[in-house]
This record gives sequence, structure tokens and C-alpha cells, in this order.
Amino acid sequence: MPEIVLQATGLAKAFAAPAGLLPVLTAVSLEVRAGESVSIRGSSGSGKTTLLQLLGGLDVPDAGEVRVACEGALVAPRRRLGRGVGFVFQNYQLMPELTALENVALAARIVGVPAAAATAAARELLGLVGLAARADHLPSRLSGGECQRVALARALVNRPAVLLADEPTGNLDERTAEEIMRLLLDVVAARGLALVLVTHSREFAERASRRLVLSGGVLSPA
Amino acid sequence: MPWFLHLALRQLFPPGKRFPAFATVSILGVALGVATLLVVQTVMNGFGEAHRKRIRESFGDCQVVAARPLARPDELARPDELVAELRRAPEVASATAYAEGPALARHGDFSGVAAVRGIDPLDPAQPARKYIHGGTFDDLDDGRVILGLGLAQQLRVRVGDKVELWSPAMAERAEKGKAPLPAEFEVCAILRTGFTEVDNAAALIPLRRFREIWNLGPRAHGVILRLKEPARAEEIAGRLNVGHPDLVFRPWQAIKRNFLEAIRFEKTMLFFLMFIITLVASFSIGSTLFSAVIRRSREVGVLAALGAGRGAILALFGLQGLLIGALGTGLGFLLTGGILHFRDAILGAINAVFGDGDMVASVYQFANIPLHYDPADFVAAGVFTLLVTTLAGFVPALWAAGRKPSEAMRDA
Repeated sequence: MPEIVLQATGLAKAFAAPAGLLPVLTAVSLEVRAGESVSIRGSSGSGKTTLLQLLGGLDVPDAGEVRVACEGALVAPRRRLGRGVGFVFQNYQLMPELTALENVALAARIVGVPAAAATAAARELLGLVGLAARADHLPSRLSGGECQRVALARALVNRPAVLLADEPTGNLDERTAEEIMRLLLDVVAARGLALVLVTHSREFAERASRRLVLSGGVLSPA
Repeated sequence: MPWFLHLALRQLFPPGKRFPAFATVSILGVALGVATLLVVQTVMNGFGEAHRKRIRESFGDCQVVAARPLARPDELARPDELVAELRRAPEVASATAYAEGPALARHGDFSGVAAVRGIDPLDPAQPARKYIHGGTFDDLDDGRVILGLGLAQQLRVRVGDKVELWSPAMAERAEKGKAPLPAEFEVCAILRTGFTEVDNAAALIPLRRFREIWNLGPRAHGVILRLKEPARAEEIAGRLNVGHPDLVFRPWQAIKRNFLEAIRFEKTMLFFLMFIITLVASFSIGSTLFSAVIRRSREVGVLAALGAGRGAILALFGLQGLLIGALGTGLGFLLTGGILHFRDAILGAINAVFGDGDMVASVYQFANIPLHYDPADFVAAGVFTLLVTTLAGFVPALWAAGRKPSEAMRDA
């Protein structure tokens, strides 16, 4: 059986609201193994993005803990941001002043990869996502689909064990969304990565090897 | 190059933009603040230096006068012996007796009041030698005079023309029933010091001739000393004064002490005012950077998600403040050089627009705006500006670096 690359136990999170604390996640536990893809669906405001942020170490849970595989061990993702987990966001979140190549290389530079090696890795990944010819273009000169490809390359550049994708096709037209989803699943499968996909689309969610629904602060099988 | 420096440069100067508005306006703001500060400081230094120079060239590095009135006020009875003694002092470069007094100068139908000074024409250290505008200083003898440019123009004379000098001593001759004949001189040179007060009245004649016209006998009004180390004039004057209780040794710093203090105080006050102007410019950079950081809140979150530490995010925005400060300071230095190079033209334009007349000449008695570059002012302005602009960048950077990535990404 493949190793566990993401382990969340008893995650709880509440936000301050005028009427007091608003619980978003109450007791979420999740284990994801290498090569596995997990889709999470839920209504707006159900806490999907919050869950992804907790899984990726961008936020701290009120209770529970998260561990991700990084350099042969399970560690708190917050301690290894940018290494164990790769993010793909709905709005791509590229740096508008950097070219596609620089955007991808930036993620590697931030974790300490030397400039030449980071650029080489970024160029290779842009080739993988079909954007080798547009490496020197700024995001403003790329289409939405192309931006999301760059974002995918950026998420992969530090060889994470887990890819967290938050509505990666939410801003794209149907055809482009299909292309991106296929690319995402192909890359994940080819590299043996684990994928946690948050999506509103039932169709895309169905393509994951495991399907979950987040409702009432709890994860349950779809 | 570290990634945060690369990104800071790109955010300041985005590729594909001919006019990076934020960077340009911020850098110009700093440059104007620095230039204003340095122009004022350099001109104030210039005024101070020019006044100090004028004092030293008019009164010497040290002026020796009688402590008590003798036969007549402020006269030295045996100046030649005193000059010989003072020349032997190791600190003294030269010593020369002088006498001075007002006279009526006349040339045909034109006349003016001359401030006549009797000097030693053979003294190689005479400051007037440096300011000869026409003719030759060395032609000065008992029958010749050097006139200030303004006085020469007032009398309508050129080198070679004759002028008459009427001294107050001639009134004494008239009282005694003798015919008051004027002293006639040929103009041998024109003096142009740039100090209107001097140029409009100066008439230099040999001391020997002055004594004749003013009936001074062997006396003089004082001795002017040039020192080997003028900056130590106060200390040297005190030492030379020992053994001469009947004399006063006035170092140049003491001759117009209140005036020099006023200039120094004026410079300090202007520095303070300009400091506030630069501070205001820096605050506006801080506020612009703050809004830029807020606008980039989501990017800050993404950088944190990619693994950027607090220090790197702090450096990313702090460096933008530092870069703005460094470029603004450099541009400010260039702007200072440009403004000061064209200072007289700029002042002329201002005078033409506001019709104030040439105050530099009429009030400050200078032919043009004086300058004195002091490297310390440039270092102080540069360090201060870099410090303030870097701080202006770091305050919003601290705010950005302190946020949780999830919060930052939610905000935008």
C-alpha cells in the first residue's frame, strides 16, 4: 500500500463573527496516500478553502493537527511551506511583474534553489504544461488557461508530495477547464503525487479516486 | 541576486511600462527633498564662506589696532617697528600697515564718495592683487590709484584717466588759510571683488601717499596680519597680544562674530526646515508604499504560501523603500548640481517674475550667489534620506510580514 503523504486529525476551525464564534470545521480527519486523488465538494461557505489552507499550513487549526510528507518524514506543513505541498489557486495568483518562467522559478528560488537550477527546472516544467514557447511572457499576455498552466508548473517545481488545488477551473471556460483538469490529473498520475481537489463541479469531482463532501464542518464520502 | 531584490526591482520598475508611475513619483519626491535640502545648505555655506573670505581679505586674518586712543583715535604711533616685529613671529605669513578714510573723488563733472585705503604696494600678499579687472596692480605708485569697478563707472573713468581725491585733511588746510588743493591720481587698475560694497567705493593708494594727504606723519590706523594657519587666528592672536597691552589683536573670527553666528544659526534653522520637508516627502513615500503593500496583500499571501519567510517579505518591501531612497538621493545630488550651476539664471528669472530686483547684490553685496560644497552636508542628507525612506518601506513591510498567509490571501 502506498505511503501516507497527508494526514489530518480532528481539525477544527472557527471564525469570529458579530454573533460570536462561527464554527466552520468541527472535526475533520483525512488521510491521503501517494498517487491518490481526493475531491472535496461543498456549498459556498462550507469551509473548503479553509480546509485546504489548514492542510497546506497557510492557517493554524484551533484543534487537531496536520502532517505532510516532506523529505522522507511526516512534518507540520507550516514548518515546510513551499516544499511538501504545492498549491494551485482559483485565480492563478501569479506575480504580474514576472514572466511565466520567472514565476515558476520564483517558487524554487524562495526555498533556496540556486537561480540557474531553478530556471532550468522551471523551463522543463513549462515544457511539460505546454508553455515552453511562452516562457518569457508576462501573465497579462497569457490567457486564463495559460496562467493556470503556469500556476500548475509553479506548484510542481519543488517536487511536493501533495498538490492542493482550490477550484483550479473556477475562472475558466468549459473547454479550457476540461484541458486544465485533464493536465492536472495526468501530471499527478505521471508523478505519483497525491491530489486534494476542491471543486464545485460534480463532473470533475467524479474523476478523483476518492470523493468527499464537506458539510456542517464535517467531511463525509460523497 | 536574491529573489526578493529581483522581485523588488520588478515591482518598482515593471517590465513593459515606459512610465512606472509609482517609482517615478516617489523617486522624484525624494530627489526634490534632497535637492532642496542641499541647495539651501550649499548656498548658506557659500554665504558663510564668502562673508568669512570678505572679512579676512578686508581685515586680514588678524587686525592689530591701538587699544587706547593716542593722538587720534585708533592710530598706531610707530607702525613700521610693529610690522617688523610681527613679521618675525613664526605664525605670521605677512604683516602690513594700513590707513583708511573717506574722500571725495572727482573726475570732470562726475564725483563720488571713495573709501580710500593706504596700502603697501610692494606687499605680495595684498588680496587686491587677485581681483584686478583691468590694468596692473604693480603700477600702483605715489601718483596712481586703483579704483573699484563701481566707483570707476560712477566717475566714468578708465585705466589711464585722472581723478582727484579730496580728503577731510584738506578742510583743515582751508581752515588754516591755505589753498586746499586736491590730490591728483592716474587710474592704474580697476578692482572687481564681486562685493558690491567694496567695488562701489574702494580706492587704493600707497600708504606713504595716504599719510601725506591725511597729514598722518609716520602713523597708521592699523596692521593687517596674514597668518600661516588662518583657522587658528583666535589662538595666535591671543599669543601675539602678550607683551602688547596697548594693542588689540582681533582675529578675523572676532571681527564680525555676531554676523558669523547669525549665518550659522540661519543655516541650522534652514536645515531644520528642509529636514521637515524631506520628512514630509518620506511620509508620502511611506503612505504610497503602504497602499502598494495593501494592494499586494494577496501576493504577500502567495509568497508566504510558496515558503517566503517574514524576513524575506520584510526585505522585499523594505528594499523598495531603500531603492527609492537611493535613486532619489542620487537624482537629488544631480539635481542639486544642476540647480546650483544655473543658480544665477534661476534667480534672475525669479527676480524678473516677481520684480524684486537683485537682492543678492543690493542686500548681500555679492555679484552672484556664492556657493560652498561641503561633503559633510551631502553625506548627512544621503544617510538621513536613506534611513527615512527605508523606514518608510519597512513599516508597511512589517505589517505585511506579520500577517497569516490565509488572511492576506482573503483580503484582496
